[in-house]
Amino acid sequence: MKTTKILTVLTAFLLIFSLAACGTSKDNKKNDGNKKAEIAALMAMEPGTRDEATELHQKLMEQENAILSENSALWEKVFLSADKGTAMIEDGGNYGDFLLKTIDGAKDQFTADELKLLNEGAEQIREIEGKLTVLEQKFPGCGKKPSDGDMSVPAENGKPTEKGDLMKFPAFDGKDLDGNEVKSSTLFAENTVTVVNFWFTTCSPCVGELADLEALNKQLAEKGGAVVGINSFTLDGDKTAISDAKDILTKKGVSYKNIWFDSKSEAGEFTSGLYSYPTTYVVDKNGNIVGEPIVGAITEKKQAETLQKLIDQAIANSNG
Amino acid sequence: MDNKNAKKKKGGVSQFLSRFRGLFQAGAALLTNLHLPNFLKGGIYQGKGKAVCVPGLNCYSCPAASGACPIGSFQAVVGSSKFSFSYYITGFLILLGVLLGRFICGFLCPFGWFQELLHKIPTKKISTKKLKPLTCIKYAVLLFMVVLMPMLITNDVGMGDPFFCKYLCPQGVLEGAIPLAAVNSGIRAALGALFSWKLGILITVIVLSVLFYRPFCKWLCPLGAFYALLNKVSLFGMKVDKHKCVSCGKCAKACKMNVDVTKAPDHTECIRCGMCVRACPTKAVSFRYGFGNGNETDLSAEKTETAKQISDTEKE
Repeated sequence: MKTTKILTVLTAFLLIFSLAACGTSKDNKKNDGNKKAEIAALMAMEPGTRDEATELHQKLMEQENAILSENSALWEKVFLSADKGTAMIEDGGNYGDFLLKTIDGAKDQFTADELKLLNEGAEQIREIEGKLTVLEQKFPGCGKKPSDGDMSVPAENGKPTEKGDLMKFPAFDGKDLDGNEVKSSTLFAENTVTVVNFWFTTCSPCVGELADLEALNKQLAEKGGAVVGINSFTLDGDKTAISDAKDILTKKGVSYKNIWFDSKSEAGEFTSGLYSYPTTYVVDKNGNIVGEPIVGAITEKKQAETLQKLIDQAIANSNG
Repeated sequence: MDNKNAKKKKGGVSQFLSRFRGLFQAGAALLTNLHLPNFLKGGIYQGKGKAVCVPGLNCYSCPAASGACPIGSFQAVVGSSKFSFSYYITGFLILLGVLLGRFICGFLCPFGWFQELLHKIPTKKISTKKLKPLTCIKYAVLLFMVVLMPMLITNDVGMGDPFFCKYLCPQGVLEGAIPLAAVNSGIRAALGALFSWKLGILITVIVLSVLFYRPFCKWLCPLGAFYALLNKVSLFGMKVDKHKCVSCGKCAKACKMNVDVTKAPDHTECIRCGMCVRACPTKAVSFRYGFGNGNETDLSAEKTETAKQISDTEKE
């Protein structure tokens, strides 16, 4: 009897610890030394053709983004303290130098350890940037067109990119709820910023934020941006779902565009992968998703602030 | 192996069920949460299985969950603007209640198992006998938080909130919020006061579970309340053989749900855990399945077992 008791307690602890382990295992920080070696290897490469140069360019940019995304909270602080008045994005200026200067200017906001981390990162970025400049001189245009892939690099002249992976918003070829055609290729290009809100008809927090999104749409219109809604029930053009959705939209006084597309399309698959609603994405002119999506209603003050930051960044990306 | 078989023969199905209940609970918890890799990936399973309810209290938003939570689904349907009542889920729950009753609590519910495991942590245990009035709270939770409030408190477009899920359910925090927030930064960013409140409830339930036996089942669980109402008419029940009973009172003492099985074999609080079955020195208490008052009907396998036992004792 005693042994079963002990065994159960042990199993319970095992379960708890394995859960805790799941939580941390996601933050798979690459081995520091490993990463440095990787960068050094890339730096030593001397491409012979333009294609090789393009590939190397892209890889180096990825490394740069990786450095920034690794301690994204710290970098965000750096970006916030950056003096927007100075000519940071001057053509030809090294982004690493700019970062080092900014870090130096805001050094009292960080601890010694954090400063060391930031400075190391900025040094690495400076070296990478130097290599990139050389590459671009040797093979003009190699940085312009990263080979087609799901990873794309909108930060052409090394502007700060928020956290992690830069991803194109999945392509679609759909219609709005009145039957007019909407294509992802033209939709995003028309706007300086597109706020894409995923919702569904019977989701009460989703419906609760529609009025706020409508207000945001009006506000964005002045800056050349727009809000677009995607109701997951209306995918594949389900007629009853569309009329239900329209019903709610009229009741809530929503005037911005709501669209649907084929559930088998790239964007359709993307939508079926979402499991928390509402979720809001910010997309820039180039069709890239900016930052992390906002999960949950934007009616909350903290969420609204995050959204505003993403919007500002998307507009900056689009103008750059 | 021989030993096990001998035991099984001696006690029959009732003894076997109550003896290996822990294994049933573990198996049921695993079947209810089959998609374990999702804990690492951070998503939830959204396939066809989610169209069906599981019998126990198990959050839909648990990354591993293979089906939907009956209480959650009920509120979602009742609260939506399109439907006024969820007949399908009510029917499903009545069916389960009639077929099994609170056997589900004792054998199949993952949250019940979780509380029981916590109770095995060795500390001083406190009896809940004097707290009996608290058992009524769960019926209020069922009536108000699951049925009436989602149905009646609605917004301008006729939608209600799932009050129980949103404000009370500790299983949702344990299985949904915590594992999802651990791997998804977007969800982490969305955590607010509501999460803190419910985390507080979860911690309270955990602490109480160590001290008391199944506090959430006894006092708060709306699903338990629903099955409790059907426990009286459930096909699965308890049976006390009056001829074998020596009125020693060991069964009532062993019962952690504060039920005296000899007085009320189909009590609303009985979760069919079978502790009385094992406590009975004369093997007078057993499970029964089927119609009737339990005196005539019996688990068919057990009938032959008992007969054999009697003949065995006669031989001796």
